[in-house]
Amino acid sequence: MEGEQEREGRPHTGDQMFPVRCFTCGAVIAHKWEEYQDKINSGKSPKEALDELGIKRYCCRRMFLTYKSIIKELSRLQGAVG
Amino acid sequence: MKIEIIDEDEFNIRFILYDAPIAFANSFRRAMKSLVPVMAVDYIDVYLNSSYLFDEILAHRIGLIPIKTDLSRFNMQNECVCGGEGCPSCQISFRLNVEGPKVVYSGDFVSDDEEIKPVYDNIPIVELFKGQQLMIEAVARLGIGKEHSKFQPVSICAYKIVPEIKIKENCNDCKACVEACPRNVLDSKDSKDGKIIVKDVLNCSLCMECVKVCEEIAIEITETNNYLFTVEGIGQLPIKEVMTKALEILKSKAEEMNKLIEEIV
Ligand code: SF4
Ligand code: SF4
Ligand SMILES: [Zn+2]
Ligand SMILES: [Zn+2]
Repeated sequence: MEGEQEREGRPHTGDQMFPVRCFTCGAVIAHKWEEYQDKINSGKSPKEALDELGIKRYCCRRMFLTYKSIIKELSRLQGAVG
Repeated sequence: MKIEIIDEDEFNIRFILYDAPIAFANSFRRAMKSLVPVMAVDYIDVYLNSSYLFDEILAHRIGLIPIKTDLSRFNMQNECVCGGEGCPSCQISFRLNVEGPKVVYSGDFVSDDEEIKPVYDNIPIVELFKGQQLMIEAVARLGIGKEHSKFQPVSICAYKIVPEIKIKENCNDCKACVEACPRNVLDSKDSKDGKIIVKDVLNCSLCMECVKVCEEIAIEITETNNYLFTVEGIGQLPIKEVMTKALEILKSKAEEMNKLIEEIV
């Protein structure tokens, strides 16, 4: 994909726009996103991952389950890096 | 009025407020949520932003990052000696100067002050690709939740009435109420003579299912003046400080009200 480039360290997953807080209850959730991602990549189910991270309420859980990255789409639309 | 703490850890607390009018319980809840000041970034100066996100989105994301707050050192801007213009005793700035490829985290902000910094270091703000650059100065100040939810010191702050559940003499131990209760409040296993006992009154939601199914009308649920609070802090302030500060604010508001009433009569 044009404009999309390798980043040092972790492989690029285009996941850097995860909401900082839960839309409903306002609890900070973004600090757990990468840990969640690692757990999913290691083969855990979303339920197990969320339970281990201590995300209890369903408002916060749906933030993880339904998140779709858009920074990848943006990088495709903008083409060459400015 | 008395407060008894049931359990607490770094961010969560559950306590019972005894013998309080319900209006007080509610104003306590509202004070914790919307009147206790905490720090948050209120505006950012963008010197350079070649990332894929617009300045406004960056500002919004940065604003939501919780910042450790020291209430003894900072004033609300409208009460400050500077008259709201901004000075070291009412605001603090963070600088960010990064170049891609890199993920920018909340921990990348360089604070003017060692102690005033983001609560979490690993909140991703934006992903920078090769050649992209970010130069930002973010200015944080004190504010209250009434103004914007980024200034809220708590995320969950709720209370419910602790009921009094009475099982009367005419109970025939049919256990219909045990079956009906959706929250496993009632049980008969733990008692010696098979009588129904109230196992976990704090879990009761006052749904009255048990009363509905009881044919003998042997169960009675009454509301008390005790409230179970569940509070989850965001981390800018320790949760107990939020509680004491909220009570202080309520007290000063009540005193102000008293003064006004005295002027009238
Ligand atoms: S009111 Fe509802 S939750 Fe409480 S004991 Fe009865 S059935 Fe259970
Ligand atoms: S339903 Fe009524 S009679 Fe039956 S066990 Fe419960 S309280 Fe007793
Ligand atoms: Zn939530
Ligand atoms: Zn000032």
